[in-house]
This record gives sequence, C-alpha cells and structure tokens, in this order.
Amino acid sequence: MVNEDRRQILISPVTRIEGHAKITIRLDDHGEVDEALFHVNEFRGFEKFCEGRLYTEMPIITPRICGICPVSHSIASVKACEMIQGIQPAYAGNILRRLIHIGQNISSHALSFFHLSSPDFLLGYDSDPVNRNILGLAEKFPDIALKGIRLRKFGQEISQRITGKKIHISGIAPGGMAFPLLEENRLALLNWIPEAKETVQLGLSIIKKFHEENAEMVNSFAVSPTLYLGTVGPQGEHELYDGKLRFIDENGNILQDQLDPKRYLEFIAERSVSWSYLKYPYYKPLGYEKGFYRVGPLARLNVASKMKTPLAQLEFENFKNIAGGRPIHGTFYYHYARLIEALSSVEEAEILLNDPEITSDHIQTHGKWNYTEGIGCSEAPRGTLFHHYITDESGKLLKVNLLIATGQNNPGMNKSITEVAKQYVNGNDIKEGMLNRVESTIRCYDPCLSCSTHAIGAMPLQVEVMNANGQIIQRIERG
Amino acid sequence: MNTIDIKINERSLKVLPGITILQACRDNGIDILTMCHLKGLSDVGACRLCLVEIEGINKLLSACTTRVASNMVIRTDTEKIKRYQRITTELFFAERNHVCSVCVANGNCELQELGYKVGMDHIRYPFLFPECKVDTSHQYFVMDHNRCIMCTRCVRACSEVEGAFNWDVKNRGFQVRVISDFDTPWGESITCTSCGKCLQACPTGALWSKDVVQGQLEKHPEMITELVEKRKLLLT
Ligand code: SF4
Ligand code: FES
Repeated sequence: MVNEDRRQILISPVTRIEGHAKITIRLDDHGEVDEALFHVNEFRGFEKFCEGRLYTEMPIITPRICGICPVSHSIASVKACEMIQGIQPAYAGNILRRLIHIGQNISSHALSFFHLSSPDFLLGYDSDPVNRNILGLAEKFPDIALKGIRLRKFGQEISQRITGKKIHISGIAPGGMAFPLLEENRLALLNWIPEAKETVQLGLSIIKKFHEENAEMVNSFAVSPTLYLGTVGPQGEHELYDGKLRFIDENGNILQDQLDPKRYLEFIAERSVSWSYLKYPYYKPLGYEKGFYRVGPLARLNVASKMKTPLAQLEFENFKNIAGGRPIHGTFYYHYARLIEALSSVEEAEILLNDPEITSDHIQTHGKWNYTEGIGCSEAPRGTLFHHYITDESGKLLKVNLLIATGQNNPGMNKSITEVAKQYVNGNDIKEGMLNRVESTIRCYDPCLSCSTHAIGAMPLQVEVMNANGQIIQRIERG
Repeated sequence: MNTIDIKINERSLKVLPGITILQACRDNGIDILTMCHLKGLSDVGACRLCLVEIEGINKLLSACTTRVASNMVIRTDTEKIKRYQRITTELFFAERNHVCSVCVANGNCELQELGYKVGMDHIRYPFLFPECKVDTSHQYFVMDHNRCIMCTRCVRACSEVEGAFNWDVKNRGFQVRVISDFDTPWGESITCTSCGKCLQACPTGALWSKDVVQGQLEKHPEMITELVEKRKLLLT
C-alpha cells in the first residue's frame, strides 16, 4: 500500500553527456531517511548486440563500453578469446598487455584523484563549486594541478608509445599484442618513471594530510562493513592483470581463495531490480541479504596480503595499520587505496620496462576456434571485471555476459549514500553541503558513468523532495 | 595506332577508341572516385561514384561503363558531381550498419577513405538499421552483411578470376544481398574453394579472415589485377 506520508527526494543530474544517473532518497513516515537508491538508467545493450558476431571482435567492441577503462575490457575479452581458442599468449605480448593495463590504471587513478577529487581536499568541500575543479586547482595550486595532469598523461603515454593511440587503442589481440614496443619508446617511458613516482607520492601526502586534519569525518564517512572481492597473485599479493580471486568477509576472514575466475558463476549471482538497469550482484553462498560485496581499489587492498613492489608495500603497511590489520570499511579510504595502487603501478611499470623481453618481436601466438565457452577476467580501475562468451561451433556468439565493476559496487554505493543521507538530510530540511557530500560519496567509488567523471565543475545534481503522490515539495538544483 | 580526340576537364586528349572514360581518365592522371571498379574485373556500374558529365547528354553517366567517342567533351570535377558523390557516400553509410570504430577494417577500408575524400562529416539521411546476418560458418572467413555495400567485386572476383561461382546476388533494392551458392551458409558451400580472392577484392570490412583482429587486416585488391595480367601473359 502506498503510504501518503512517504516522501522521496530525487537527485538527478541535469546535464546528460553519455551515461546518466539519478539518486532517489526515500523518507519514511517520520521524514527520516529510509534508503537511498543510485539509479543507473543507462542501457547500451552491449551484451545483446554482440550476439551473432564473431567472438574475436569482442576485444574491439567491448572497450567502447567505457572511455576510461577500455583496456580492462580488452584484456578480459582477449582472455576469454584465448580460453575459446585454448592458447596461451606469447610472453612478450603478455607483458606488453600488462604494461598497457598498468598505464590505464595510472591514468584513471590520476584522473580520479587529481582532476576530480583533489579539489575537494585542497580547496575544501564547502568552497564555491564553480572553482572546485581542476581549473580552480590550477589557479591556487598550479604546481599540483600540472603534476596531476602529467601523471595522467604518463599513463596514456604508455598506450600511445605501444599502440600509437591514447584511448580506444587497438592491437590487444588474442595470443598477445599486435604491435611491439620499440627501444626508443621503451627509453622514453623509462625516463618518465621518477617524475611519476614523485607525483603519486605527492598525492599520498595530500590525502594523508587530509586524513589527519579531518579524521572524524573520514572515519565516520559511509563506514558500514561489506564483503570484498579482488584479484590476488599466488602468494596473496595485490594484482591487477592476472591472478585468482579472493573473497573476504567484513572481519577479514578469507571466504574463498585462489579461486579461478572461470568459476565466477558459482560464487556470484545477480539480481535484477526494478529501479535500475544495473543488476545487483551478490556473493552467492551468503545470499542476497548478507552477500553484498565491494570491488575496486579499497577492496583489492583489503583482500591483498601484500604488495608486489617496495614503496607500495611500505604504504600498504600504513594502510593496514589503520584498522589494525582488519579490512577498512570507510568509503573515504578508496582514495588512499587508489593512490597506493597508482604507486605500485608506477613501480611495476619500471620493472616491466626493464624486462629484456619487453621489446621482443615474438609478441603473439595464434589460435583458432576450439571451444564454445570463454571466460576472461581483469581488474579494471574500479574493480573486478568479467567477460563470459558462449559461441556456436563456428565461433559466432550465442550469449554474452559482462559483469562490470560499477555494477558490483552498486549495492555498496547505495548503502554508502543512504548512510551519508542519514547524516545530512532531515525531512524537508536538506542541509547545505548535502549535495556535496552525496557527490563525494559517488566520487569515492568513481563509478564509470560520464556524469560522475565530469571533470570541470561540480557534478550536475538535482534534488527533489517528493511526497508519495509525486508532488514536488522542494527542489534544489545545481547545473 | 588509331586514336580519337576527346576533352576531359578542358584538356584535349588523344585516346584509344573503345576504352572507357574511366580508363581514359586513369591513363591521363585524372582523378576519379570509384568503388565497384576493380581493374581486371568486368565493370558493372554499381556504385555510381564515377559519374561524369558529358556535353549533350543531360544525365550523369558512369565513367566505368561508358566508352569514349570521338569529340566527347567530359567533365569529372563539377559541383554537381561532387554533390552526387557525397550523397552516394552518405547513402552507403545509411543503408546498412557501418560502425567503423569496431570494424576489423578500421583504418584499412576503401569506404572509410571515400568518406574522408568526399568530406563526409555527417549523414543527412535516416539510417535504415536493417537486421543483417554475420555469416561465420566458413572455416576461415567471415561475411558480415552489415558492412557490405553491394559493389559485387567479390562476386566478380569469384566468377571471373577464380571460376568458382560461389557468390551471387539475390533480391532487389535495399533488400539486395550477396549470397553463397543457393543462399546457403558459406561454410556449406560446395563451390567455394577457400581461395580468399573475394576477401582481397572487398573494399570494406564485410569479408575478412577469422585470424585477423583490428589493426592487422591488410587487403590487397591489386592482387586480383595482377593475377589477371599474369594470366594474359600466359595466354600470349
Ligand atoms: S562483400 Fe565486399 S566485395 Fe562483396 S559486394 Fe559486399 S562490399 Fe562488395
Ligand atoms: S566505379 Fe563506376 S559505378 Fe562504381
């Protein structure tokens, strides 16, 4: 039965670029926040329109899902293709792919931190939204803004130097890579490493200072516990490109370890909900109510036992100390986790660039269709990504299932927004700064919707207070 | 040798009688857009890109199928021709589902180059979005009808050069489709020799080999021309 007193607050972006999202905050009878829902109304039908095409086209089609993490889609896709062909990638091709993947991670994390989030930290949450962006930052802290921009450029430079393109690269192919890395390009990238390391360290110092000065907010900001999923190496080390899955519970107990990603369907189920095109995935053994988990930088650091590189390992130890070795649930720590990952990525790039095989010409093995099923997995900047293809005996795709990071974080994101809304919304009275707080919650997850990556200016938001009959009783807009 | 006098774009030329206007242009370094023409194959005038204006004839004629005649005055570069070429190109793109960004032939496609050449920055016609099949049944090759522009170069390469007669055409108008044998899946063809000549002849990403990915596709339509030339040598 519809309760007349039940009110809804709707926050929805006014400017629509490519993807769009809206937030509804439902109030209960007493005007208190009941729950918040982050709607994703974007439905681009990728799974459907890929059906009927040849499976080897997927590494080119699926990167179009996202302009920020196209490489992760390519990687998950070529792995699925390699499973269909039953082949292993050539060593050099594989480390080149790893390097491009790292480059994407660096540029995505740099964008998230320096362009989108650091204006909040350096200029203040309550500063004028008109200037609270990378341009405002460039005015007040030109040095930091420039370094941030260059860090992002370094990430893109990696794919540019290997494939000739910054985004929507081609050449990531089943069996390895289509283009080799030339020696001059290897040296150019290697030269860039010290500067990149320094910039990430600068980011780390910014976030740590912010943590110190705003400890109360940071530690009370959307802190409800969830399970976590991430990829780890054979020793439980942090891993982005290739590895096995680990699930942990909210206390840090390992639920599943060294799980082959090919078995993901045994452990992840999805539920469709009426208010969003995104499906709600959950950890199957615990059921829908208890099984929701988060992915992405925070999750990956929570599940990892250690980092692969020395500087990142030092930072990781600091990170682990925050919660005494247990998982950190505070959503705000996504930023810190992201920077630790960026640091390890820069260090790993250096190791890879010094691998004598990295400029080898033997970069691709060749196969042909052999099996009807392929599953590939990689860690996108925002979390674990699965591609699952079923083909007929000619390689034509019969079924495509894509499990993306933002989808997996959606239940967690709703929970976080609900928590934040509870702090800042009281009935018809929406506290000033509420929009900013909701926006910054979304920023923590860095979901791959264009509106959330709107780099200049504040996220366009619209708040509507609505009663059960759909009458708007109050509206706040920010375009 | 007997020659005749013609004029192309104000240039007086002496050319062999019986050749096409297209050949006269090519022999004299006059640029002319083509798509369905492939040297070595017969000409069918399917694409309508090589249209020229001829004095005394009030409609545009295709240079690839019109032969020169004595004292013909021809123009290949008028505004009208350019406008028609652009319209024709836009219609190619509007008729089926061409998505260059995810096509194997991206960066290696005659149709894409044509778009650049005629300065196509958008398409003014409504897209038809037909439901086209992708035939993956052949062991080595793929036929994606979404990307086919019905130039029939594959059909002619198959019949005139390979002699296999696997490819043919069915239906009319925008429902026209290239078919294999009697419209059976390519993989079940009893005439296809898997020679791959149709792939080389195809100007778009409609025909491609299963073992290439984007960035790796290379097409050599001139290979068809060379084969034909070499065969002529064998016969003389
Ligand atoms: S498949 Fe290629 S060569 Fe054959 S008609 Fe279509 S576009 Fe022309
Ligand atoms: S080239 Fe003359 S009509 Fe196609």
